[in-house]
Amino acid sequence: MSDKAINSGDSDELQALFDSIVSASTSAPVASAPAPAPAPASAAEQPVSDAAAAGANMEEPARSMFTSIGQLTRKVHDALRELGFDKSLEKAASTIPDARDRLAYVATLTEQAANRTLNAVDVAQPLQNRIESDTDSLIAEWDKLYANQLSVEQFKQLAQRTRDHLKTTSANARATNEQLLEIMMAQDFQDLTGQVIKKIVEMAKEMEGGLLEFLVQFSPTGQAPKPSAAEADSGLLNGPVYNAESRTDVVTSQEQVDDLLASLGF
Amino acid sequence: MTDKNTRFLVVDDFSTMRRIVRNLLKELGYSNVEEAEDGQVGLHKLKSSTFDFLVTDWNMPNMTGIELLKAVRADPSLKHLPVLMITAEAKKENIVEAAQAGASGYIVKPFTAATLDEKLAKIFQTMNK
Repeated sequence: MSDKAINSGDSDELQALFDSIVSASTSAPVASAPAPAPAPASAAEQPVSDAAAAGANMEEPARSMFTSIGQLTRKVHDALRELGFDKSLEKAASTIPDARDRLAYVATLTEQAANRTLNAVDVAQPLQNRIESDTDSLIAEWDKLYANQLSVEQFKQLAQRTRDHLKTTSANARATNEQLLEIMMAQDFQDLTGQVIKKIVEMAKEMEGGLLEFLVQFSPTGQAPKPSAAEADSGLLNGPVYNAESRTDVVTSQEQVDDLLASLGF
Repeated sequence: MTDKNTRFLVVDDFSTMRRIVRNLLKELGYSNVEEAEDGQVGLHKLKSSTFDFLVTDWNMPNMTGIELLKAVRADPSLKHLPVLMITAEAKKENIVEAAQAGASGYIVKPFTAATLDEKLAKIFQTMNK
């Protein structure tokens, strides 16, 4: 065993783990099959069921379960090495942190964009409100003028205020435009996140391919088990529905929510 | 008529969504709005202060919106509080679960200001009956 490990460039940690498991399994009464060198994959099922059957007792079964898992791990590890799958799986696994980072990046960018946009609205709204209220009060005064209710002096003041208002309005319009531009610019996240997401989708496809190949190789029937839609998406914490087409267990509009609630008597 | 001084608590783990809900409520005339970032913080605020209305997300760390809803309904001093869920969870199971747990309304994200207005009006109407 250890010769093989050295020859195949195995790591010390794995060997140590394996040794500890072997020694544990010889002392553990429930553990079956003291892990032989690379065994056929079909034999892998035996220790698991033994461990599960012993699950009624506490301390010892837990240990033997770990033992069985360790043995299984070793078998899979060796089998993978023989088939050359370790490299492809390694590659697949190494893409996970990358994908995680990319997704974190998407989350950051979208949050920034939302904040930028909301900030711009916060700045622009008071400017618009000011234009509206000032204009309304000037309109009222001009209406008075046309109804001949203003003196010459009052008219002079109105003309001055109107002139000031036009200047303020021009400045406010410019400032608002700047904020609109800011809102527009904040949408650049769409481009960036779109690209990143595309990459993640590609990565996932690659990984799926690798894992599928592996599953096909190792499942007893030679076919990859297909999880049902319900299994893949069970529980009540699924987040936004990104694949509403072809699904009947989700609602796609507020009307459907309301209809469902109404049908339940709410 | 509904009281514009109604005290709202908005619970969502995304600050942007809290901000949007707060802005929408302000747009509808409700400026008395507080925020909490998850169910746990939300429940603490509900117990330590007085609120008239709870708006909550579903999927949050520490304590989810549905757990918060159940905790509110189980608390004698809070059980009559109207609870509106605004969430991206769009499975029928979710909606049924929320309704059975005693949610006053359910809005699926993304949503519009008009939807929020309508649901609030409906809940206030039911309350005043």
